[in-house]
Amino acid sequence: MKMERVGIVGYCQLKPELDMMMSPYEAIYSAVRGALDSAGLKRKDITTVVTCTNDYYDGKTISNCFKVEAGGAYMKDETKVEMDGAHAAAYGQYRILSGNHKLAMIYGFSMPSCYLYEPVRILELDPTFDRTISLINSYTAGGMQMRAYMKAFGVSEEEIAKVAVQGYKNSAKNPLALPDVKKSDISVQDVLNSEVLSSPLRELMYPIPCDGATAMILAPERQSLKITDTPVWITGMGQCQETYYLGDRDLSKSVSMEKAAEKAYKMAGISDPKSEIDVAELFGHTSCEELILAEAAKLAENGKGATLLDSGSALNPSGGAMSAFTPCACGLTRIVEAAKQLRGEADEYQVSGAKKAIASGQVGFCAQNSILFVLEGGG
Amino acid sequence: MPLPDYIKKQYKKTRTLHGNWYLMNYKYKFNLSRTKVFLKGLKDGVCLGLKCRSCNTVSFPPRLICGRCLVMPDQWVRLPETGTIATGSATYEADDKNRERPLPVIAVRQDGADTIWLHNMPKDIDFHSVYIGMPVKAVWAKERTGSWFDIDYYDALEDPAVELNKKEQEK
Repeated sequence: MKMERVGIVGYCQLKPELDMMMSPYEAIYSAVRGALDSAGLKRKDITTVVTCTNDYYDGKTISNCFKVEAGGAYMKDETKVEMDGAHAAAYGQYRILSGNHKLAMIYGFSMPSCYLYEPVRILELDPTFDRTISLINSYTAGGMQMRAYMKAFGVSEEEIAKVAVQGYKNSAKNPLALPDVKKSDISVQDVLNSEVLSSPLRELMYPIPCDGATAMILAPERQSLKITDTPVWITGMGQCQETYYLGDRDLSKSVSMEKAAEKAYKMAGISDPKSEIDVAELFGHTSCEELILAEAAKLAENGKGATLLDSGSALNPSGGAMSAFTPCACGLTRIVEAAKQLRGEADEYQVSGAKKAIASGQVGFCAQNSILFVLEGGG
Repeated sequence: MPLPDYIKKQYKKTRTLHGNWYLMNYKYKFNLSRTKVFLKGLKDGVCLGLKCRSCNTVSFPPRLICGRCLVMPDQWVRLPETGTIATGSATYEADDKNRERPLPVIAVRQDGADTIWLHNMPKDIDFHSVYIGMPVKAVWAKERTGSWFDIDYYDALEDPAVELNKKEQEK
């Protein structure tokens, strides 16, 4: 089944900061205004707004109701996704494909400087067992996943540390990366010597939550060509939800991503992802998860994800989640970064001749829910 | 229709677990750039509204963003101390004898502004005498500190229109 193309016509990503000196209202306004300006559009052109915020991350219920004016949703059709920004993009895509909307504004936002990210994530757990024994959190889940992966495929810690190093080196070239992670001279040994979060997961293999906002504008095919000469097309999308229970899953691979990728590639007519995909922007919660997701997206054989780095393949040229991990916006940022590559706008970290890209989002412990987009450049 | 037995059995097996569904400490960030000017104006005894240059909407108290135009309004306008009641309701306060006394809560539209804000009426006013469209005038607090309640309350103004309208209806 070939899907009608939806175009990405504009986007804006705020410069992430550990403690942003902006109110949430203002941050969203800046991102949304920036996206409209980048596409040369006006607020009245927007027909629907899909927001991605989280009540817990915003400190109030119905977190979108206060952000109506800032998000350009005043007197418009507006809705919220409380997952990842990439899911909001999927929602916007559905709305456009329904034929009822001509322009969808999508934004993701959160401000971890206002709340404690790790403790809030504990509220995601099953209240009867997991939360009462308080052994599962993002660190231990990441540690368990990493050990399972290392054992299943005989991967060493060094290989995973290499992924983290690559993430930091790529972040150094990305102007929109967090200043704290721009480490171009970091070595594998530095990563392995950093503090243990949850063995074998190290501090430098885990991204730092930071404040940020990302906005993106989607339009149907005909409309996109009117707005810009260089739209980026969404040609395929797949989504899959796995079970919540970590014990019921094989943590050494990501079945949700495998299924999502299968659907997305089928939709986009991609038979050999290894050779056809030029850029992959994957949202992995840890360096290890990046490899697991890349393998699940069929970019490498199972357990051979680390070879992607040696072969010079473009896995997260922007630095991935390592560069700026903003909860609720990270998946959306990955799509925007992939779109930048296809448009040739990523100056220092541009992958030459990029034509097809994938971008992923996820939500839940150890990527319970995965979503994958296939993007294509060229008007 | 009676419930099937297997569902009744499930009911018996259900237990309730007590837990807390709380939010951690949270920091709320605000932009003071507009609020500061507004509150300073109140301290000096001036009502300042913020006008959007694009759609000419005047907000009082000021809004950071004009939702209609998606711009940040930046033109200040001085507003008179008078306004009209856009809508209102009553809240109840216990008096000395522990009886409930209704107090009007009013939404005032300052003259020249397009938005409303919530405020008080004098405590001795009969809240049944408050009606929509009633003209009111701001009464300043004796000591102004730069806060929302530098306007102590809104006092009712004499309104000859009420009598005239009554006569008109009687005709």
